[in-house]
Amino acid sequence: MLKIITLMLVALNIQAAQPVIIKTPELEIDFTPRTANQMGSFYEARGFPKAMRDVLKQQCFITVGIHNTSNKKIWLDMSNWKFTAGGKPIKREHRDYWKQRWQNMGVPLSKQSTFRWTLIPETLDYLPGEHEGGNILLPFSDKPIGITATFATGDNKQGKKIVITTDKLLCAEDEE
Amino acid sequence: MKLKQIFTLWVFVLSIFSSLTLNADNSKVPFGIRHYDIGSAQNFILNDIDGEKFELNDYKGRWVFLHFWASWCGPCREEMPAIQKLADEMKGEKFQIIMINTAEDEDTVFEFLGSINVDLNSLLDVDGQVTEVWKPRGLPTSFLINPDGHVKYQAIGGREWGNPVYINFLKKLLQADVK
Repeated sequence: MLKIITLMLVALNIQAAQPVIIKTPELEIDFTPRTANQMGSFYEARGFPKAMRDVLKQQCFITVGIHNTSNKKIWLDMSNWKFTAGGKPIKREHRDYWKQRWQNMGVPLSKQSTFRWTLIPETLDYLPGEHEGGNILLPFSDKPIGITATFATGDNKQGKKIVITTDKLLCAEDEE
Repeated sequence: MKLKQIFTLWVFVLSIFSSLTLNADNSKVPFGIRHYDIGSAQNFILNDIDGEKFELNDYKGRWVFLHFWASWCGPCREEMPAIQKLADEMKGEKFQIIMINTAEDEDTVFEFLGSINVDLNSLLDVDGQVTEVWKPRGLPTSFLINPDGHVKYQAIGGREWGNPVYINFLKKLLQADVK
């Protein structure tokens, strides 16, 4: 009986939106799915308009932390990241898309600015030891999310490329 | 042939010497601070939490520590006591700490600074547009601006500003400027 319960818990655990941590010799990267309520609370506490929060609640939020553990420069360029849901490609909107959307909705500049600060930068050179991150917003899906991230390395981006992949992420959902 | 060997050896010795010099120069910059020579600092005018108007250009003639932060940013909160210590250590020096809160309202900033027991003022970039112009790498980010008004260094993320490594580095910048 205990075995069955354990197996059921393991199965449930596999389905839950768990953080994924990937370590390579050059970098550590962690992905943490956030629920709509978690993000909604954060933005509500900062006075974000309801219309803006309603849009954000529809998204799949994944907080990403990237730590350059090597002794050379590592380049983040989000255009080199590919996303899938259930094996099919999905599009991550660029921060310019969100800027336009908020402008069209008449969202105050201060809220637009704070929102941008919560996003992962589109490009960034990570110096040795540097640790930066931010949120990725994807269309919500109940299927497993796949990410393939490619990083250039070295001062002139001519070093060996780093490629990390995961297909173990799930968008986080609030419990009913 | 012998002359060529001597020349090669001389070039080798020179290259080692120059690389050692470069390393020595780099070692003067503490971990987490990078050279960031982008030219003149963009001027701005903002109000502080007391409603006083503040203009960056008024602070030419001294090193400026320009710090971008927000109360919702964990590393920013953690770094505040270190900035207080830095302010204490640099009191009386030609050194100005300028903090800019990014896109939060006056009440939030006032309440936050009051709750963490620091004696620091902050400018209010209420709509976040000065921050947009300065484009920090992330929050928190600090810039070091020399007395001529040129941006020279950028600090990445939260740093232990009260640590002697950073204090000594900053004091050396001031001394170098006096000479």
